Formats: sequence, C-alpha cells, structure tokens
Amino acid sequence: MARRLVFALVLVVGVSALIFFLINAIGNPVDMLMADRPGTTDQAIAALKAYYHLDRGVFWRYLIWLGSVARGDFGTSITFNQPVGPMLIEYGLETLKLQIPAILLGLLLAIGIASVAAVRQYSRVDFGVMTGALLGHSLPGFLVGILLILVFAYWLGIFPSYGAYSTLTPLWGSSLADSLWHMVLPLAMLTLFNTATLTLLLRANMVDVLRHDYIMAARASGLPERRVVFRHALRNAIIPVLTYLGILFGLMLATAPVTESVFTWPGAGFLYINAIQQLDYPVIMGETLVVTIMLVFFTLLTDIAYVLIDPRIRLE
Amino acid sequence: MSGVPAGQIAVPTARRRLPRGPGNLRQGWDRLRRNRTGFLGLCLVTLVVLIAILAPMIAPYAPNDQSAMLHFGAQAPPSAAHWFGTDRSGYDVLTRTLYGAPTALLVGLGAMLIAAVIGVTVGALAGYLGGFADELLMRATEFFLVIPVFIVILAVVRLFGVVVIGTPLEGLPFLKLDAIIVLLGLFGWPPLARLARAEFLRLKQAEFVEAARCIGARRRDIVFRHILPNALPSLVVVTALGIGSAILAEAMISFLGFGDPKTISWGQSLYFNYQVLRVAPWAVLAPGMAIFLTVLGFNLLADGLSDAFNPRLKQ
Repeated sequence: MARRLVFALVLVVGVSALIFFLINAIGNPVDMLMADRPGTTDQAIAALKAYYHLDRGVFWRYLIWLGSVARGDFGTSITFNQPVGPMLIEYGLETLKLQIPAILLGLLLAIGIASVAAVRQYSRVDFGVMTGALLGHSLPGFLVGILLILVFAYWLGIFPSYGAYSTLTPLWGSSLADSLWHMVLPLAMLTLFNTATLTLLLRANMVDVLRHDYIMAARASGLPERRVVFRHALRNAIIPVLTYLGILFGLMLATAPVTESVFTWPGAGFLYINAIQQLDYPVIMGETLVVTIMLVFFTLLTDIAYVLIDPRIRLE
Repeated sequence: MSGVPAGQIAVPTARRRLPRGPGNLRQGWDRLRRNRTGFLGLCLVTLVVLIAILAPMIAPYAPNDQSAMLHFGAQAPPSAAHWFGTDRSGYDVLTRTLYGAPTALLVGLGAMLIAAVIGVTVGALAGYLGGFADELLMRATEFFLVIPVFIVILAVVRLFGVVVIGTPLEGLPFLKLDAIIVLLGLFGWPPLARLARAEFLRLKQAEFVEAARCIGARRRDIVFRHILPNALPSLVVVTALGIGSAILAEAMISFLGFGDPKTISWGQSLYFNYQVLRVAPWAVLAPGMAIFLTVLGFNLLADGLSDAFNPRLKQ
C-alpha cells in the first residue's frame, strides 16, 4: 500500500513537471502574456518577470512553483486577479454538481436496464437495449447537448439554454428550483452517455455471470428470480465495472470543458477554457495539476475498492 | 484401379501439397461480412473514405465559395440550390461537410499511425524482453496514462498559436492541424502499448514460436514474422477504435475554438455556427451528423473486426 501511495505521488509530481516543461518549452509565461497584450510598460514587464522568477532556469522555476503549491498557494489568476486555489474550488464545485449526479444516475439506470436485457438475452428487448446503448455510447456528448438545446430550449422553450442560474430573478422566486431547472439539460446529456456506456459493460458481464453454476444453484434452491439477479448476479457482474466508474470519477474535471462550453456552465471546464484563451498561466498549471491528482486518486481508490469488495483480489 | 497404369500411382512427389483451405484473412472477411453491425461499420467507413477521395468532384460548390453572402443568402434553409442550406459565412453546408471528410481521416489515420508505431514498439519491447525493461516501460506507460491528455493538448495547441511568432519556430511552414495530429499521436499510444505487451507475452511462449526458436530462427524473424503477424488482429481492433476517438478529439478541440482556422473540419464548422444554432440549425446538424456517423463507423468496424479475427474471444 505504501508503495502504491509513493508511486501515486511520483506520478502526480512527474506529470505536473512534464506539463510545466512542455508549456515552458513553447514560451515563458511573460512572453505569452505580452503576445496578446501590446503596449505594456517595461516596468510592468520587469515586475512580471520578477514575479515569475524568470531570472532563474526552468528547473528552478518548477521547484519554486511546486514549493508554493505544496504550501497551498497556487498563485494569482491574471484575468481575475484572485488566488487560484479558492477559484478552483468554487468553479470545481459547480462541475461536480453536474458530474456526480450524472454518474450515480447513470449507474442506477444502467443496473436496471442491463439486468432486464441480460436476463432476456437475445430477445427483442435485449436487442433494443444493445442498439440503444451502442448508439448512445457512440453519440459524441456535445452533439447530444446541442440537440437537447435545439429541441428543449429553442423549439419547445421549456429549459434554459445556458448558465447555471438566471441572471435577474430566479424562476418561481426560488433559487433552488431555478438552479435545478438549469441543471436538467446538461445532466441529461451527461447521464445519457454514462448510462449507455455502463449498460454495455454491465450487460456483457451479467450475461457472463448468469451462466455460472452458482446462479443455477441459487435458482435451484428456490430463491425468487429478483433475488438471484440483483443479489447473486449483479454483485459479481458489477466488479469489473468498477474500473470504468473510477475512470468516470477521475475524469470529472477533465471532460468538463466540452460540456460546459455547450451549456455555458460556470464550472471548472469553463474556467479552464477561459484561462487558455486569456493565457492565464497560473490557472492552467493549477487546473492541470488538480485534474491529474483526481485521476491518480480515483485510480488508487478503484484498486482499494477491488480489495474491499472482492476477497479474491489482494494488493501486491 | 481401372484405367490407371500401375507404374503411375504410388509415386508421391515431394512438391505435392494438401489442398489449402481459405486463409485467415479470407475467413475473417467472411465472418465480418456476416456480422451485421460490423458490416454496417465497414460500409460507413468506406463511405467516408470515398467521400474524402471524391469530395472535389462531387461537391456542388467550391469549398471557399462565399458568394451566397452577396445576395443575402447566408444562413438560408435547405433548398434545391443548397441541399443542406448555407451557414453564417455563406458557405454551402453540404460542400463544407464533404470537404471535412479528408481532414477527419487525415487526423484519425495520422494520429493513430504515430500512436501505433510508439505503442507497438514500447509494448513489444516490454513483452519480449521482460524483466527490468518490462518494468521500466510499463511504469512509463502508466505515467502517460494519467496525463489529462485532452486539456493538455488544448493548452499546448493554443500556446503554439501564440508563441510561434517571435521565436525560432516562426519561419516554419506551420500548420496547427499538424500539431494537433502529432499531439494526439504522442499522447494516444499507452492503450496500444499495454495490448501489444500482453500479446507479445502470450505469443512469446506459444508453441509455434518455441518451434521457430528450436530450428534456429533469428530473433528478428521471430519477432517480425512469427509474433507480430499473430498479434496484429487485436492491435488493429484497438487502432480502429483509436481512429474514431482521434477524429472525435479533433472535432472537440475545434469546437472549443482551438482548431486550425486554415483547414475545413467538422469541428470547425460547429464552432463557427454554434452561435447561430437557433437561426440556422442545419449548419450545425450536418457536420454533427458527419462526426457521429464517422465515429460510429469506426466503433462498429472495430467491434466487427474483433469478432471476425479473434473468434476465440467470443465463446
């Protein structure tokens, strides 16, 4: 376990170093800023150069950055003039508000749909579910989002097409209802993809598990079918899906830019797109680091979950 | 025995061979043809390839023809003159969608070619050599797996656009699309490396490889003539999946506004027309459908190839 943790830490530091050097190989933060902002005074440039320690080499600058990050200081955003750490939390929470319900909802729906399909393998229901799941899995998320906006926001006029809150007065005078109303379309888009992909995986595993002898034994002992499917089969079928769930959770922030551009959602992805457009260097570095940490953290968590759930598996 | 002179019968010549059954490729092709979804995937991919080759011949307008702008014809709904309508810049949507096909294929094939060369080399070395090399290469693969590829590529592509001016790179005939392809390839190889390693580990111990070693085959021949061809089917499947993902990734990068403005791509069309979605939905739906069908085609084809060439996987 300790070895895993150390390797996870090495991964995070290594990836952040790679991104740091990659970005600095193309250009240093001050040059990048000046490329888009002509007319800056020499004094301001000198101050910026001092701020980013441009008198030192890239390697030193990376260590300085890493040191301040270790102390919880991600620097100050250039466009917002605010500390990056609290900003990442604020915008990140807006993203999680969509992503976590979408994953949980997707999992619940997939469990129901996949069980029904697997029990009736090769039936019409199964064929319909498989076709739908395959289509839903291949439909790029942002296209689904665009279609949802076109139909439900523009043509039918039911849901708002952008944002997480109404700008002036909240719907029905309640900010909670307003916020939930804004969540419907982006949540639908994310849930559709999660449900489709998880259904594909779960059905395949279920079909496999249902063939085992212990299922026949459970049925033979006279257990109700529902108990056989949800207690005995599902528990074993869901284990291989954990890896994918871990990836979904780990990628919550990484996939956000596309979702949040479609719906103009004020989350971490929106912040990131804005940061690269404005070349807001501290935000770019901060967010890539946080995304990497999340990926590594959830991979680690998946490994631990396997050990806890399946006694046949041990950590090396 | 009648009619055959006795002297001509029992002389088996060394060159006589057993009648050969259909080869692996032929068998696989037959299985693929009978697989409904796999065949649909093949048809879709073939269609995209044909469109990519024939675009200049079948497109009704020139790709950069904005003349619809002159007579207030931008954002016009589908009509006899413009089957898919025109977009906000006065381009014919059908023409732009057809011309997007070569770009998409270039991105998909280019990126996966790079990814395949790196991935198979790394995986093959790790699987064949084993020991310390294996440990080292697989740790490196794990390292590349946790890089948040998409957002890193976004940042790098954007920075390239800015910083090339005023640096030694300035003089290069620089195309952002090339950078996107190279980056997608450079970061897209880990899944292929993992698969190649698993296949090489498995095949290294196979009996026919053992036999080849016993008759004194050179290492180069063992790797390239005995192991690699047998690992190829699984690798092709993952590569086909990767082509779809690479095309989708380029579409998303362009949709977010970091694509190459000099090329015609579906993502680029989405980006330019998304703001007029309410007025001219056709200008968004056409390239959107093109992306969907292409990605779907490669996904289904990969699925079909997997069933056709690895029948052992499907019990």
